[in-house]
Amino acid sequence: MGKANEGTIYDSLRKRGVSRRDFMKFCSLMAATLALPSGAGRIAEALEKAKKPSLVWLEFQDCAGNTESFLRASDPTVVQIVLDILSVDYHETIMAPAGKQAEKSLDDVVKNQKGKYLVVVEGSIPLKDGGVYCTVGGKAAIDTVKEVCGGALATIAIGACAWDGGIPAANPNPTGAVGVKDAVKGITLINLPGCPANVVNLTATVVHYLTFGSLPLTDSMGRPLFAYGTRIHDGCERRAHYDAGRFVRQWGDYGHQNGWCLYEMGCKGPETYKNCPAVRWNQGTSWPVEAGHGCIGCAAPRFWDTMSPFYRRLPKVPGFGVETTADDVGIGVAAATAAAVAAHGIIRAVKHKTEEEREEK
Amino acid sequence: MPKIAIDPITRIEGHLRIEAQVEGGKVKDAWASGTMFRGIELILKNRDPRDCWAFAQRI
Repeated sequence: MGKANEGTIYDSLRKRGVSRRDFMKFCSLMAATLALPSGAGRIAEALEKAKKPSLVWLEFQDCAGNTESFLRASDPTVVQIVLDILSVDYHETIMAPAGKQAEKSLDDVVKNQKGKYLVVVEGSIPLKDGGVYCTVGGKAAIDTVKEVCGGALATIAIGACAWDGGIPAANPNPTGAVGVKDAVKGITLINLPGCPANVVNLTATVVHYLTFGSLPLTDSMGRPLFAYGTRIHDGCERRAHYDAGRFVRQWGDYGHQNGWCLYEMGCKGPETYKNCPAVRWNQGTSWPVEAGHGCIGCAAPRFWDTMSPFYRRLPKVPGFGVETTADDVGIGVAAATAAAVAAHGIIRAVKHKTEEEREEK
Repeated sequence: MPKIAIDPITRIEGHLRIEAQVEGGKVKDAWASGTMFRGIELILKNRDPRDCWAFAQRI
């Protein structure tokens, strides 16, 4: 290792005993997640030169679920790499200092690294009654988010709550909760919705920034296309069963035991955009649909209201085709498919009737 | 008789503030407050009971 690498992410990984092979495996995972064919070399080269960016993690109206997701990677090598790439200077759930010392850690970053640090926000920001429903160090969440995100290089809103208010903003939104995008305007912001978001997507977003010097491309809702550009339904391993009309109709029935499609059990995969089927969870072990439960649509806008009841079948399914993104599937397309699905239903009903009539005869 | 406040309490999930009344180097009285409220109970009202686990799980 030459002097040129000193103090870089790669240097720090080597000192912690991460092998070159594990490092390259990680770079390949990132390249695959970011959909960059042959990008592993470029990512490796960038991480060999890049210094760790300072990062502060703010928690507001949250359940720490994204923190759990962030810390629960099962492969120790990946955990090491993630914690190395993200030099977390402030995170209430894992930091040693408390009280005034904790506040100082945050102040130090905000003052000394103005315009250079990254912020991850977890949880929504309550605006009702002067923001009294969430205070840290006696300061309202809205004031902290304005100050800290205002001086940051970029803000990453992690999870559904930080994106659009999530569960605290679900009807009747008792505390007037909003996401970062509605709490503070004019900042560089990228959203990683999901309940919780996947640590792979968070890491890939930061790695993209370290490699290319910019945040990844986003859709109209501010979500990176690499993670939110494909529909769950289109990457689902149960898709063939959907196309063949093999549906689970009751928990534990023959179809459920044999991995059939969960659409009739309320799966929201047909209307949800996220890369869960590809990146999966717990280091690629499984994901909800593989485990036998329908998708609850946690990466969709206002999903607690728009996707519930979670066990009710979607009233309409947008069209087939794996090339659409959330922005492409307009209301027109959805309406047309709804009509097609309805027509399909009528044909089935008619067919059913003739069969009944035949039986009567 | 100094009153000290520790906020935020770290290494926990959620938001906690502890205030303590100190007399002669000993804590005489103390108060704990959860400094975040979402109203999940209010949000759960009138929902499909089968969905409640998902909401309550996020507490």
